[in-house]
Amino acid sequence: MRIKLTSIMVDDQDKAVRFYTETLGFRKKHDIPVGEYRWITVTSPEGPNDLELALEPNANPAGKTFQEAMFKQGIPLAAFEVSDIKGEFARLTAAGVAFLRSPAQAGPVTLAVFVDTCGNLIQLYQPS
Amino acid sequence: MLLRHEGFRRLCRARDLLREAREPSPSIEELARELHISPFHFIRQFEAVFGTTPHQFRIQARLDHARHLLALGEHSVTDVCMEVGFSSLGSFSALFARRLRETPSAYQRRIRRSIQVPGALPAALTPGCLSLMSHLPATAFCPPGSQFSRSVKGF
Repeated sequence: MRIKLTSIMVDDQDKAVRFYTETLGFRKKHDIPVGEYRWITVTSPEGPNDLELALEPNANPAGKTFQEAMFKQGIPLAAFEVSDIKGEFARLTAAGVAFLRSPAQAGPVTLAVFVDTCGNLIQLYQPS
Repeated sequence: MLLRHEGFRRLCRARDLLREAREPSPSIEELARELHISPFHFIRQFEAVFGTTPHQFRIQARLDHARHLLALGEHSVTDVCMEVGFSSLGSFSALFARRLRETPSAYQRRIRRSIQVPGALPAALTPGCLSLMSHLPATAFCPPGSQFSRSVKGF
């Protein structure tokens, strides 16, 4: 058993592809039409290349309710590790990304939280 | 952009208000006033957080609501048009067709033809997300660079 795929719900797959590739810098790996939706995955150019993040269409009312409740409570639904969190914070804010939390030490990590424009809060962390 | 908690809370409230189908629907300026924020900052911050302008968000929310009602099959296209806040059937149908690539009546017919489970939402409204994987071609799981992966268009 291996962890090779995880996912995040997005309210608009076109918008998500733009944000996760053009703004965050991930690479699109799969983009395959499936009925009304698409199977879209991205990987990080910093690796590992076989670990994919699926951008799931959040059309299910149950998923929408969950996503919105977590969003309003300020709870991130994914976390990405970075090696220079202050540099990423500067790069992303310059690209127009909205942060709810600027980089700050929290126990063994430095954390920041931003909005992915698709209904989610994302946490960046840099281990100390 | 660094949002403070109060600003974030206001934007979430704005999203809820934009979804409401109350008539007459408040203008963006009226909404901004209700949220104690200037229209300029409201639009700029809303777009940074939700990836779309308040106006476009409201249109999309109405179309999503319309799709939901049409899929349930309990209302006519005209009733749905009025219910979600459009005053013109023609502009509603044209916008629906442009965004969803089929007319409201064609969408409703297509959903009616699909298998329905009594008491459950139509499958079109509850896509299984990761279950989409079961519809992929086998080549989607070939290692990168293999003969099969190179043959799949778009890879």
